[in-house]
Amino acid sequence: MKKSKINNKKLLAFIAILLVAILPLIFNFKRGTMTMLNTVIIYAIIAIGFNILLGYAGQISLGHAAFMGIGAYVSAFVSNHLTLPLGLHFIVAILLSGLVPLVVGLLLGLVALRLEGHYLAIATLGFGVAIQQVFKEWIGFTNGYSGMRADPIEIFNISFRSREMYFVLSVLVLVLLSIFAYNLLRSKTGRALVAMRDSEHAAQAMGISLFKYKLVAFAVSAFYAGVAGSLYMHLIRFTMPDQWGVMLSLNLLAMVVIGGLASIEGGIVGAAFIIIIPEIIKGIPVIGEIRSLPYIFTGVSMILVIMFFPYGLAKIGAQIKQLIRNKNRAPKNNEV
Amino acid sequence: MAVFFQNVIAGLETGSLYALAALGLVLIFRTSDVINFAQGEMAMFSSFIAYQLWKPLGLPYPVVFIGAILFAILFGFLVERIFIRPASKASLVSKMIITLGLIMIINGSASALFGIDSYFFRKALTADNIDVRGVIIQPNALFIITITIAIMAVLFYLIRKTMMGISIRATAQNETTAKLMGIPVSRVYSMSWIIATVLGAIAGILIAPTTNISTTMMTEVHLKSFIAAVLGGFGSFIGPVVGGLIIGVLDNLVGMYISLTWKTVIVYGLLIVTLVIKPTGLFGKVHRKKV
Repeated sequence: MKKSKINNKKLLAFIAILLVAILPLIFNFKRGTMTMLNTVIIYAIIAIGFNILLGYAGQISLGHAAFMGIGAYVSAFVSNHLTLPLGLHFIVAILLSGLVPLVVGLLLGLVALRLEGHYLAIATLGFGVAIQQVFKEWIGFTNGYSGMRADPIEIFNISFRSREMYFVLSVLVLVLLSIFAYNLLRSKTGRALVAMRDSEHAAQAMGISLFKYKLVAFAVSAFYAGVAGSLYMHLIRFTMPDQWGVMLSLNLLAMVVIGGLASIEGGIVGAAFIIIIPEIIKGIPVIGEIRSLPYIFTGVSMILVIMFFPYGLAKIGAQIKQLIRNKNRAPKNNEV
Repeated sequence: MAVFFQNVIAGLETGSLYALAALGLVLIFRTSDVINFAQGEMAMFSSFIAYQLWKPLGLPYPVVFIGAILFAILFGFLVERIFIRPASKASLVSKMIITLGLIMIINGSASALFGIDSYFFRKALTADNIDVRGVIIQPNALFIITITIAIMAVLFYLIRKTMMGISIRATAQNETTAKLMGIPVSRVYSMSWIIATVLGAIAGILIAPTTNISTTMMTEVHLKSFIAAVLGGFGSFIGPVVGGLIIGVLDNLVGMYISLTWKTVIVYGLLIVTLVIKPTGLFGKVHRKKV
């Protein structure tokens, strides 16, 4: 009985995902809208990875844009310089663009071993700026300020040039990585990460190796960021060093905080919020003219969410329900 | 040798600005346990106010300077009241995220109000350069170094000798005990935010002639002030000043003798190395965390 219920849930989720993936194939969205939806999915991938680091392991990073940037450049570099039959080089490019940031993430994790809280934030901020500087100066690899191009993905003779097909691909990657994150977080590793977040000393006393799990957290989130960077690169097909700066890192942080710390759906909600709301604001007549308004709005909503809804938008319904229940219960307590 | 001294003096000039900004950071950190990531943006906003007073209104420089400082006092007070105080019970990461949100708000407002162009701003002193045996010294550089030393002296006097300083140090050491001793802790918070914002604003106005006034003018100074604070140690008030001067000089020397293009990477590498080897900084004390 119980098992069939779970299967039903899985089936429902599967059907829902399938529907979302082919939605653009049915409706005829504008190209701009399709690009936006694609970006939402890509940022959802990196937000899930970042949430593993910030929400579950409790390690802050203000340099995550650098990992996404590394992913984008590696992917472009590999797919431009390597050709394999059947478009297999794109698969190699996407995998490598996850693995290279993973290795760099391990190095940053080593640094993070000795730091916590404020110091970690400052160190990662410095890391982000340094890597962005490398993007600017290492012209042989990134082409510097002239920018770098990448080809549209074509695997097994299926072209992902159109925004609709690309959407299917990125939803597929998002689903795979979500399932991976879900299983990882429910395993021993996930519990170790949460224990480490709540108290490093207590976790260590319970035999949890901080060395191992800090490295795991950084490596996994860097991998997600790299894959997201690769997908972004082949979607927009052009990049410049300016993109991968502190501003993007802050936006990533905002996604995770607004969507909801320590929840997988939080990353998706947050990414959708940060990408879609600015587009809506741009459409409003008079105030839409102010170009920096979305940025201000993101900042304000990040502060409001952290002050009033610490569990994020993804859990806002549950939080309100809890509030109402507590209010209903309160008078009874007074009577006693 | 002349080139070396030239670089050292240029380093001391920028270094003292880093030191001012870093001192602001540390002051806020020590009292209210918040790292103010928006310090640079707040300084940038104050500098824009200075520009608005100078060019469109045509006020004389000293008036502009004082006007910007008055604005900074109000600005620091408001930011602390509106954004930081309501969250005083929140976790460290939450407070950090609030100041990160402030970056977005202040930066966005500045580009909405003042535009994204960069504007020329005058130097404090525009007298002719002094030539000392081949080393050219700008009077403005001397002015910056002197004013920094003067501000430091006043600030250290305030912190060491006055009642206000004692309450700041007491709050920095232990908030609860300070409260029990009858120290108005919330007024200390306000005070430290105001002082820090003013320090930032002064750094902003003084760096403006070299960077021009724009929404990104403080990025470099702000990040360097973090390095300065880390290098000197967040635990002491003298640390960030020494750290700032070291970073300023080092930055110039690395640019001169090693590589101009890789200067930034090397200096940030130094930051990470310092953090790994000695997280408490040069002057910090080892802080044991209780379980």
